[in-house]
Amino acid sequence: MSQTESHDDGHHGLMVKNKKLLMWLFLGSDCMFFGTLISTHLIYRKLHPEEFDPTQLFSLELTSFSTFILLMSSFLMALAVSAMHKGEMKSFRRNVIGVIFFGLIFLGCQVYEFAHFMHEGLNLDTGTFGSTFYLMTGTHGVHVAVGVFWLISMLFYSQSGKMEAHKSAIDVEAAGLYWHFVDIVWIVIFTVVYLIEFIA
Amino acid sequence: MSLLSLLLISGCDLNTRMSTFTAKGPVAETQLNLFMLTVWVTGFIFLAVGGVYVYVVIRFRDKKDGNESIPSQGHGNPLVEMGLIGVSILLLVIIAVPTLQGIWYTHDVPDDESSLLGSWYTNGDLSEADAKEPFIIRAIGYRWWWEFEYPQLGISTANEMVIPAGRPIHIELRSVDVIHSFWLPKIAGKVDLIPGRANSMWIQAGDTIDAWAKKAEFEGTDNERLLAYEQYLEDEIYDYYYGQCAEYCGDSHARMLFRAHVVKDEDFYAWVNRMDAGHAEAPEGMTWDDWYASYDETPEELTGDVHEGLKLFMGRAKCATCHAVKGNPRAVGVAGPNLTYLAERHSIAAGWLNHRNDDNSVDSEAQLNNFIKWIKDTDEVKPGNLMWKAKGAGIGELDPLLNDEEIRKISLYLQSLQ
Amino acid sequence: MSTTHTTEVINPSVHNDLADLKPEISDLGLRRPDHSKNVIIDWMTTVDHKKIGLMYGAMALFFLLVGGFEALVIRTQLMVPENDLISAQRYNQLFTMHGTTMIFLAIMPLNAAFFNFLVPLQIGARDVAFPRINAFSLWAFVAGALVINFGWLLQALEMFGLFTASGATAGMNDFVPAMGWFGYAPITSTEFTGAGTDFWIMGLQILGVASLSASLNFIVTIINMRAPGMKMMRLPVFTWMTLIVSLLIIFAFPAITVALIQLMFDRVFGTNFFSVGGGGQPILWQHLFWIFGHPEVYILVLPAMGIVSEVLPTFARKPLFGYAIVVFSGAVIGFLGFAVWSHHMFTTGLGKIATAAFSLLTMAIAVPTGVKIFNWVGTLWGGQIRFHAPMIFAIGFVWMFMMGGFSGIMHSSAPADAQQQDSYFVIAHFHYVAIGGILLAIVSGIYYWLPKMIGKMWQGNLNIWVGIFTVVGLNITFFPMHFLGLLGQPRRTHTYLSGFGWESYNMVCTIGSYILAFGVLLLVVDIVRCFRSKQLAGNDPWDARTLEWATSSPPKVYNFAATPIVNARDGFWADKYGPENRKLGEVDESHGIHMPSQSWMPMIASAGFIPLGLGLSLMQAGVPFMGYVAILGLVIIALGISLWALEGPGGYHLHPKKESN
Repeated sequence: MSQTESHDDGHHGLMVKNKKLLMWLFLGSDCMFFGTLISTHLIYRKLHPEEFDPTQLFSLELTSFSTFILLMSSFLMALAVSAMHKGEMKSFRRNVIGVIFFGLIFLGCQVYEFAHFMHEGLNLDTGTFGSTFYLMTGTHGVHVAVGVFWLISMLFYSQSGKMEAHKSAIDVEAAGLYWHFVDIVWIVIFTVVYLIEFIA
Repeated sequence: MSLLSLLLISGCDLNTRMSTFTAKGPVAETQLNLFMLTVWVTGFIFLAVGGVYVYVVIRFRDKKDGNESIPSQGHGNPLVEMGLIGVSILLLVIIAVPTLQGIWYTHDVPDDESSLLGSWYTNGDLSEADAKEPFIIRAIGYRWWWEFEYPQLGISTANEMVIPAGRPIHIELRSVDVIHSFWLPKIAGKVDLIPGRANSMWIQAGDTIDAWAKKAEFEGTDNERLLAYEQYLEDEIYDYYYGQCAEYCGDSHARMLFRAHVVKDEDFYAWVNRMDAGHAEAPEGMTWDDWYASYDETPEELTGDVHEGLKLFMGRAKCATCHAVKGNPRAVGVAGPNLTYLAERHSIAAGWLNHRNDDNSVDSEAQLNNFIKWIKDTDEVKPGNLMWKAKGAGIGELDPLLNDEEIRKISLYLQSLQ
Repeated sequence: MSTTHTTEVINPSVHNDLADLKPEISDLGLRRPDHSKNVIIDWMTTVDHKKIGLMYGAMALFFLLVGGFEALVIRTQLMVPENDLISAQRYNQLFTMHGTTMIFLAIMPLNAAFFNFLVPLQIGARDVAFPRINAFSLWAFVAGALVINFGWLLQALEMFGLFTASGATAGMNDFVPAMGWFGYAPITSTEFTGAGTDFWIMGLQILGVASLSASLNFIVTIINMRAPGMKMMRLPVFTWMTLIVSLLIIFAFPAITVALIQLMFDRVFGTNFFSVGGGGQPILWQHLFWIFGHPEVYILVLPAMGIVSEVLPTFARKPLFGYAIVVFSGAVIGFLGFAVWSHHMFTTGLGKIATAAFSLLTMAIAVPTGVKIFNWVGTLWGGQIRFHAPMIFAIGFVWMFMMGGFSGIMHSSAPADAQQQDSYFVIAHFHYVAIGGILLAIVSGIYYWLPKMIGKMWQGNLNIWVGIFTVVGLNITFFPMHFLGLLGQPRRTHTYLSGFGWESYNMVCTIGSYILAFGVLLLVVDIVRCFRSKQLAGNDPWDARTLEWATSSPPKVYNFAATPIVNARDGFWADKYGPENRKLGEVDESHGIHMPSQSWMPMIASAGFIPLGLGLSLMQAGVPFMGYVAILGLVIIALGISLWALEGPGGYHLHPKKESN
């Protein structure tokens, strides 16, 4: 297998492995992606401050809870990566199950939140607020869902017994990077979309 | 190659209808001067760099003299690089400074007393607020025609604006559908009409008297000055200017033209008063009350082409659903161009069908043909326009369609709008 | 397997190695499509960067001809005033598709063809970092191209009365995009345009995925896969430009991706991002579009600069003048490219301060561009210029690009731009850059590297005629357009009235466009002749400087029998003419060369984009069941990627004989 490694990683590069570098670059690109979505929201919010009063709708308790859940999932993800590095498959699986579980709770909260908001009259076509809010948080939700799907696949793969710690550590690390990034994006969204409304 | 084409083209006429080379107002002039400055600066760079380039390519060609030795493998010279960068920056500063001045100058009407409507408008009373504002025309873009409102004067026209020479005008740019762009090349470069956005620009045909006198270094009494200024306007400015939408706006973007008729103050006032009064009388000097009484009760008594054209206009052809004719109390549609004094315009269909003689009179035969063509083949003249496709009204929905005779009568009525 | 069906000429000794290999079994237990006897399967499943590059090139050339044909129809329509050769709608579709095709389906993939073929060779690598992602990028590009052009089929069906739109765009019959390549809102709303806009949105979105994945791959490749001794400041300039362009792509494309998603939501779900009625601002589209769009200009032009920076030193037999400054100015151009987007919007009423700022920044970007021109001239200075075909085009490039740059400086003065914006002057400007600059550089690149790519040498002197016809044609076509614009002809108008002084210019432009087209046709003929040429190119036909010339032509599947150790910038030149300590070394690879396995999965995964894109677009046009087709597409993509992950990277070993190199 040593040849595989030597193919994957060149002779003269940074100290970062290919897959990890790829993930970093992708996340850099994704930063611009979320940056655009969030700034669209903020621009329209500033342009039409009277259009909609989200403080009546937002439930800070629920969102704080889901934020906390996502943070905790990041913590478990870090544990999973570390377990993988040490080759402790069992601990890895336990932690990944935790991440998936927390991710699903977060998604559940978001589905509940969307359903609730729609029931209260905030729809996709409710002014610009509905448009920007749903597209931004929805895109984030899709990112979480993709992450959950990815981790579930990994879990099954490790269950099949084909996973070898020294080979797959880099994949798990990349997934971990992705997961932490999604978490950080949520913290930004939580701050500038939810919290700030209550301060002003 | 390019130089050759340059030579070819230099023989051509640059004083055409929409030429930016013949600037006829301070805005276009500023823009032209800046353009020429960039031409000189880049022309200088072109000659300098291009000259060196040609020299190098010829001088250092492989002489094929059997000398196979490898040329010196020099890697560059930082001092030369820095010097060239410095020179480029210097050349750009030459452009940058007047550019900044130009941006500020062309942005809005000059901030002084003579820009205010009250300082020159002598045709009737203005409200206090209007007098303290610049003269405003609101250009509204539709697919594919222009509405020109004069909010301070309470009048409105379409596709051909009439403006006084030497007066700064603040143009408010609005669009009801997609993005358009107001471009009157001889008078000012373009600014876009963007839905949901309050854009504006300013134009002025010809210089103000003070600016002109300064430029011409005119010395003499006030009266002589005024006469000479009048002469300047007469010689150079009073004219019929051509403009066009410059932002792609759909099918008939190519056919969204407009005109600006630049006239002396007195003619402008006369036009304003006429537009304000509208068509006070129905055809053949009837009052509108009489005409409508007859139209409602004994329409068969209204005979003759013009009467019958107007009957069709108000009735079966549904023209008045969308079009307004000021004075006619029942023709108050707002979806289409205002047709007040339509027959005095030199073109229809947003400048696409023209009937202007060189002496600035209207060629009435061509005009009649244009009316007929437009009503009959509106979708061919301007593909996709609403007159044909209007939902629930317009001749697209007519059953049966207008016959040629009816179209001719409506056209004759339209020709009577003068 | 004693004879090979590919165009690649494989050295017999190595070929035996390939033949000796047993069929590989993937982690899924399926047989991998390696070493296939079937040429078509071989190319469809290839992960070889060289084959992928050639396929990019072939498809891009095809679309170059398509876009060129569209341009010829446009020019023919405009030959005389009030011409009615084609309808307004058809004209609008043609100019929209001409722009879209040339930018996204011709120039970008032509650049990608060079990236793919050359970058691994130039840095002394076996392949890109992620060979399967590379294949995925190629096939996703093909899927996007199909989706974006699908409207032509519907338009044809509509003409024969076989298709009408219902649903949200009922009654509209523009199935080909007709809103301009920058698709300014709100003309892209369902109120004004039909299914064409949906194809355009989906197609661009897919092309975005393709560009993004390719760019990520190239950045990792260039940073991590360099041969020993290939320090960053020893990279060939073309590779540097690839790196910068790839970075531009990954940071600029998200803006258009988001804008397209927002537009799609506006059209499908009635959101209000760009609809004035619901509080949206159409101007937002312009900002998002040009935040992507201006870097896109540099994405198109920097590779051309890279090509020329390779060709000029080779044929002047001198190193590039001011290597570090050329690289640095490329980076500055890329960086500033993000800060000048609003110069496309000088006429939108930005306000004085913003206009002034963007005006000055735009002037600033002329400096690093000028620096490049100085350095090219400096490279020639004191050289021994040999006028081979690549050099002729490179010299033409510098000249024509300079012309385009000058009119660019004229635009940077915002008040002057108010007269030029959206007129034929702008068309003249960017065609001097796009044809006089980018296309000439690409042609130069084709003449330079095609012998390396296929191992055969050019025949005859047709290249001179290609040069004459393209350069003369482009000048006759586009130089008068400067004057047309200044005389007031707006762009994107399907016809014009006589009497405005535009007739003779338009006639000249049209004649010029035919001349240009004939030049491009000759190029195609010359390329075909090169493929049929009997004369072998040899490793280094031009006495060139960079690593790709150190290996055989065409390079073998593993590129280098032994990974080179680089001891100088222009390493291969140093190997030929330099002192002993600068010559190339060799890494000991007695354990054999590891090669990546071929795979079906990249193509399967990207094939899913076709039902996804078409399904979503046709759903908008009111075709039943198209939602399910779109879902099917998603399933295919997910399945393809999952199987891709599960089949494992695989790989096999080759033991080429040393002397074969």
